[in-house]
Amino acid sequence: MDKTITYVIAILAIVSLAIATYGLVTFQGQVTDLETSMDDIQGTLTTIQDQIDEYQTKIAEQQQQIEEYQEITLVDDMGNVVTLTSAPERIVSLSPSSTEILFAIGAGDIVVGITDYCNYPYNFSAWVEAGNITSIGNYWQPSIEPIVDLDPDLVLASTGSLEAAENLRNLGYNVLVVEAETIDGVLQDILLVGRATDKHIEAGVLVSQMRAEMDVIANQAADATSTPKVYHEVWNPPPMSAGPGTFIDELITLGGGTNIFNDATTSWPTVSSEAVIEKNPDIMVFPDMYMGRQNFYETLEDVANRDGWETISAIQNNKIYEINADIISRGGPRLTDALDILAKMIHPEIFGQP
Amino acid sequence: MKTESEVAHLRHVSHWKPYLVILAVVFVIVLVLSLNLGSADISFSDILKILAKRVPIIDNLVGSYDVLQRHEIIILQVRLPRVLCGAIVGASLATAGVIYQGIFRNPMADPYVIGAMSGASLGSALVLVLGVGVSFLGVNTLQVLAFVGSLTTVLLVYSIAKTGSRVPVTLLLLTGVAVTYFQSAIVTYLQTIASDKVIHGLTFWLIGSLAPTENWTDVWSIFPFLVIGVIISFLYARDLNILALGEDQAQHLGVEIEKVKRILLISATLMTAAAVSISGLIGFVGLIIPHLTRVVVGPDHRILLPTSAIVGASFLMTSDAVARVIMGSGEAPVGVITALAGGPFFIYLLRRRKKGYNL
Repeated sequence: MDKTITYVIAILAIVSLAIATYGLVTFQGQVTDLETSMDDIQGTLTTIQDQIDEYQTKIAEQQQQIEEYQEITLVDDMGNVVTLTSAPERIVSLSPSSTEILFAIGAGDIVVGITDYCNYPYNFSAWVEAGNITSIGNYWQPSIEPIVDLDPDLVLASTGSLEAAENLRNLGYNVLVVEAETIDGVLQDILLVGRATDKHIEAGVLVSQMRAEMDVIANQAADATSTPKVYHEVWNPPPMSAGPGTFIDELITLGGGTNIFNDATTSWPTVSSEAVIEKNPDIMVFPDMYMGRQNFYETLEDVANRDGWETISAIQNNKIYEINADIISRGGPRLTDALDILAKMIHPEIFGQP
Repeated sequence: MKTESEVAHLRHVSHWKPYLVILAVVFVIVLVLSLNLGSADISFSDILKILAKRVPIIDNLVGSYDVLQRHEIIILQVRLPRVLCGAIVGASLATAGVIYQGIFRNPMADPYVIGAMSGASLGSALVLVLGVGVSFLGVNTLQVLAFVGSLTTVLLVYSIAKTGSRVPVTLLLLTGVAVTYFQSAIVTYLQTIASDKVIHGLTFWLIGSLAPTENWTDVWSIFPFLVIGVIISFLYARDLNILALGEDQAQHLGVEIEKVKRILLISATLMTAAAVSISGLIGFVGLIIPHLTRVVVGPDHRILLPTSAIVGASFLMTSDAVARVIMGSGEAPVGVITALAGGPFFIYLLRRRKKGYNL
């Protein structure tokens, strides 16, 4: 009996041991499984973390690229070297042509100061009254006080403000003198201002557009059978015309005409009435105003009635025109408009009536 | 025991004191008021703070220094040098005017009478028209050529007028007129070949403006000439008084008139050339201020010289302040203001004192 019990107990013990072993083994397998999946999860976490780190590094790099403005060195039209360490945010323009360039390349929103003569592309006098922009006043010999008061990080000066440019430079301000006499010079100026304001792409697009537009007109004009003689009066009295080395002379040539004073010894020759009569221009062009005054000196009728001018071909054929003085006198983005207008005056048979 | 003339002299000298004190006060008031005027809106207390901060001892009295940096730049680097340049140019032209009028014994004489003006304008026209460039190797060529032109022209006039060891005043004046016409012709010719932009720039220079003088270099470059000129003229003030009696008379009284004339001419011309080189041709001050001052303090050069200098300085500072604020953010040429304001006032003084005043 006792033996039987002993056997039963022994069997039970063996069975329970076996069960326990099985259980233990199974449990341990589960633990290992769990551990493996834990490892997996942790691996995934690490991967995610790595990716986050990677993205963060990339973001940091990109931010640095954004912040790290390429230091640029510029040479202006007077040979002054200017180094900019950050993109300008407050620009003062001391000439109407610079203002036009700045707005044309999309840098208008960082222009804080202009002159009383700036009137394009917007009615700036209304802006000044509304307090959206400040006028520093004169184009000629401006005082630097209102300029310094605007706290600019870039000033675009002109030949009218060379002394102010010098004084500002000595106070540590960045000053570029922007003033070109020729078409190429004007296009270079646009690129220069583009580089200075971190708008080189816009400036490049504008310059290539201007080149293309001028090329189209010049190519059409080249097909013309005649090259009419053109007299362009810049100023009177005494009558002054544009000679070689000026963009006015170049525009007349591109428009298919011949500037009658292209053989002058100076860029802005004072000419005699007699010389104009002798050269007998086919077309005569006069600025419509000077210093903002319409018909400052005389009307086209008065011009036609100048003594001895009735024999001039342009007057006999009624080919005397007024041209927007701002467009023809400012070395800026509107030079193509000037060429368009001049080409119509010179070759209406190709370009249509002006 | 003092002689009667010595007593008279002392009484005279003691009469001068009030003039000098009053004028010094006027000068300081005008200086401070000029500093307070400009297109930038800076409060008077800020200006005082900015100035006081630069003075030792007083700077401790300045409480909170919360002035904008650009306002500090405007006051110290822009307005102050300009106001001081105005004072120096005004004082130089007025002192030179007194000297020229004294030497030539001619009420029409002014700092420009023997070619200083035409020489300077020729120099500046050459720079502007021939496009030498306003700044070359860090030197302001416009100023240098205007100065050199002014100086060499006067020396030329002087050496042409010199006959033997004497320089007759009439000959000097007439030579000056001839050379002035000659040089003006060249300037006019240069204007005919210049672009409208250059012509406009030259016109501004010929009217005169203190806008280009908004820097300390200009102050320091002309101040020494004023100091030297004022000291030399003061040393020769007595001789100028005696010269008023006529050259022969002066010679009899022991004045070495040729030497005195030469030294005074040189110092007056140096002052004029320096003033003109930085401000352009500011007319009227050198002609009118000496007369104006003479009406008040009398013809004695010992008092006429210092008072004219102070009146000239105050007058030009005032005119420039008006020029700066009269047109909003823009400004009027100061030469126009000096003539517009000074002319009628001078005529008024002349009419009022007509009987007692002898030119």
